[in-house]
Amino acid sequence: MSTAKKQMNAPAYAEAAAEEMITSRSFWADARQRFLKNRMAVVSVLMLVLLVLFAIFGHSLAQWSYEEIDWNVLGKVKTEGGPTLANGHYFGVDELGRDLYARVVQGSQTSLLVGFLAGTASVILGSVLGATAGYFGGRTDQIIMGAYTIWLSIPYIIFFVVWQAFFGRSLTQMILVIILVNWTAGLLIVRGQVMMLKNREFVDAARMLGMSDFAIIFKHLMPNILWVIVIYTSIVIPEVIMMESLVSFLGVGIQEPNTSWGALISEGARTMTFGTLWQLAFPAAFFVIAQVSLYYIGDGLRDALDPKDR
Amino acid sequence: MLNYTLRRLFTVVPTLLVLIVFSFYLMRLAPGGPFTSEKPLPPSVMANVLERYGMDEPLHVQLWTYIKNIVFHFDFGPSFSQKDRTVNDVIAQGFPVTLTYGFWSAVFVLACGIPLGIIAALRHNSFWDYSMTGLAIFSQIFPNFVLAPIMVLLFTLSWGLLPGGGWNGGQWEYIIMPAVALGTSYMAGVARLTRGSFLEVMNSPFIRTARAKGLPERTIIIRHALKPALLPTLTYMGPVFVYMITGSVFIDVFFSTGGIGQDFIDGAYSRDYSMLLGLAILYSVLTFTLNLLLDLAYAWIDPKVRSKL
Amino acid sequence: MSLLSVNNLNIRFRTGDGYVHAVNDVSFDIAKGQKLAVVGESGSGKSQIAMSIMGLLANNAEAEGEVLYEGQNLLTLPSAKLNRIRAKDIGIIFQDPMSSLNPYMRIERQLGEVVEQHEGLSRSDARKRVLEVMEAVQIPDAKNRLTAYPHEFSGGMRQRIVIAMALICKPKLILADEPTTALDVTVQAQIMSLLDEIQRELGTAVMLITHDLGVVAGFCEDTLVLYGGRVMEAAPTLDLFDAPGHPYTRGLLRAVPNISDASASLAAIPGSPPNQTRAPVACPFAPRCVDAIPGCHQTLPELTGDRQQRACIRPVEELT
Repeated sequence: MSTAKKQMNAPAYAEAAAEEMITSRSFWADARQRFLKNRMAVVSVLMLVLLVLFAIFGHSLAQWSYEEIDWNVLGKVKTEGGPTLANGHYFGVDELGRDLYARVVQGSQTSLLVGFLAGTASVILGSVLGATAGYFGGRTDQIIMGAYTIWLSIPYIIFFVVWQAFFGRSLTQMILVIILVNWTAGLLIVRGQVMMLKNREFVDAARMLGMSDFAIIFKHLMPNILWVIVIYTSIVIPEVIMMESLVSFLGVGIQEPNTSWGALISEGARTMTFGTLWQLAFPAAFFVIAQVSLYYIGDGLRDALDPKDR
Repeated sequence: MLNYTLRRLFTVVPTLLVLIVFSFYLMRLAPGGPFTSEKPLPPSVMANVLERYGMDEPLHVQLWTYIKNIVFHFDFGPSFSQKDRTVNDVIAQGFPVTLTYGFWSAVFVLACGIPLGIIAALRHNSFWDYSMTGLAIFSQIFPNFVLAPIMVLLFTLSWGLLPGGGWNGGQWEYIIMPAVALGTSYMAGVARLTRGSFLEVMNSPFIRTARAKGLPERTIIIRHALKPALLPTLTYMGPVFVYMITGSVFIDVFFSTGGIGQDFIDGAYSRDYSMLLGLAILYSVLTFTLNLLLDLAYAWIDPKVRSKL
Repeated sequence: MSLLSVNNLNIRFRTGDGYVHAVNDVSFDIAKGQKLAVVGESGSGKSQIAMSIMGLLANNAEAEGEVLYEGQNLLTLPSAKLNRIRAKDIGIIFQDPMSSLNPYMRIERQLGEVVEQHEGLSRSDARKRVLEVMEAVQIPDAKNRLTAYPHEFSGGMRQRIVIAMALICKPKLILADEPTTALDVTVQAQIMSLLDEIQRELGTAVMLITHDLGVVAGFCEDTLVLYGGRVMEAAPTLDLFDAPGHPYTRGLLRAVPNISDASASLAAIPGSPPNQTRAPVACPFAPRCVDAIPGCHQTLPELTGDRQQRACIRPVEELT
């Protein structure tokens, strides 16, 4: 740091800091405008909102609960278990004669909840670690980056399967293990951003004013890289949903009778040989709609928040 | 380069050790065990069984014996759940299966992804280019566990072209679907990445130099652009291999190939400690080896990296 | 008869904000063995002229007019025919030796492929030629460095290699696009004297593109001054230095540091380069010109004169 800078007085620093901040209202307002212009992204947001509403209120439209077995169709699933309005099974029934509509609602709840909670929490964890590594540098950075490299070179499924099999398969357990597996989410990109920002005037200013490292990271650096974190979260959420679905498919996900998209797709795939295609089609369609929407939302956010490429 | 390889091999030892110790204690400290069942065994029988598997000793002694057996006898111990089979047996039987379709899957990823990416780049903004971008988005949305059932639905149940599972000694009909289902989304990723890097390379100053030399376009592409355009793809293959190993667990289960993925999942259910540990080590060694091969390939292409090794 | 004849060349680029007119109505000739300097600020379109001669304009460029080389219009020549002229008849030296060599290929191959392509030499014959030309551009220990990669050479050595690449087929014309800009000052002098030496030996014509009048003074017989993509003045170099006939040339010369008069301050030309999103309708330099009269902003001056041509509506005597 040059002596000239040190001679500057605190108010001047504060001014420089204000200029540096891209947290200004106009940045987010501009971004919102750019996002709203992106038709695919807006439609995707609507789709996603519909999905969330479906997951929350879907049960009130159901005529069956998700674990109740309809003895009338059991054993005749292939002929009488298909989707129909007549007996209240809008999406048909599953192999065990349970209402598929109610199960898809239940599965959507699980998958979306896991996706959003675990996805956001992982990015927060990753960002905090990334910011720590980038801000302090040196030994701290080396340790975090070393762990990062090793972690990325181990297929996560190993840890995931072992953990799930040994520590139970509740919803909280699922969210916890996904956060643990994904602790590297956003780490690298946040670290890079922090390393870039930490030598700027407004950080010097904060340091001069005697702010603690902790306060600098959370009050000055984090708001400035919030846009990176938002973009990254939008990428991680569909990945987490995919991860949850994969392990559910493998049978080490959520415990029955609770279910998720992956578990439902897995059941549907197992029974499709018997011609009960709806059991695969409905859960797969919901999964795909969610993935498509999240993909375009992520795309739209990237364009809106990081317009440099355009 | 040999020196570099040795140095890398040296770093894998502590990594594996950490993995073994960590997994060992994680599994052992978790409630339950391979012999816990709904109807508890009589204490005397239980003691007998535990003694047979050496589980009556303190944990650190067991761990030490386990490591000693691997290092000196290359013995990963007996399976707890599969009677009369050792972990070595399971690996010897299942690993070649997983490796075989995994290899063909990697071939599919590279042999289709790279040319597709280059075609899309050469026909920039054309029908080909747009269809490829479409394919890339499609494959991101249809992961292997959605794609595989759809493929079976079409190729087995509807058209009866390919068997929907099994292995049958590794005949090609049995390899195609596992390999393609495992690879498709990475194939699209490779294509997209190759397209991007190829476009960038074709705009670089040294390609302009090559044009100024009066070389035909085909020579420029093959001799000058290909190598640098493939470097980002190689870097991308590192994580792809890790993902493919993860995916292979699913493929083994879904297509009942008899690969190690099924044994891994079964092992998790039945708390087969030695099976889980052995396979975890195998998966890690595989990842490490693939990454090492990638790094060497990278050095082979990029002289700047080569001179640093 | 001239070797290369550029007639009414116009180059424009399609961009998101419409067209950018980089080169406007430029004409000049280069005779066998002639050394012509093309001088201008960055963005004056001078590099684009060289690119159009070599057929290397970017995809979004449109070129009109004629670039005649031995009677063939290079702008419309099919690429197969153009490839026979590139490097064989017209060589080019690019500005940045760091990026214009392929980092993944050995030097020997990068040079050798040129003679293999144009003269059908075998690998071993090509190697001999590569060695010859590397010695000609004075790369020390050339024999042992054939198999080296570009990153193993210093910037100056790399530019020698780029020059060697342009020379290897003994072309009749070399386009040198800012050959020394990316180099240290001491290395710049070495490279220019090397170019001079080789040019004398081979009798090659050279078109030297530069923004540095100091480089031009010792090297080229003739100079073309570009501004805003138009020719401002074209004259024998000595005349131009003695009595610059265009206000822009005068400004440029005032901006060259003069060693003999250390007290004189460097004069910068006020204002900034012109907006080229519209084709010029008046003298592009007028907004920055100290001598501008109202008429300058309305008419497009023609290039007039005999030995010393200038594009200015005001007589030389009236200039400050």
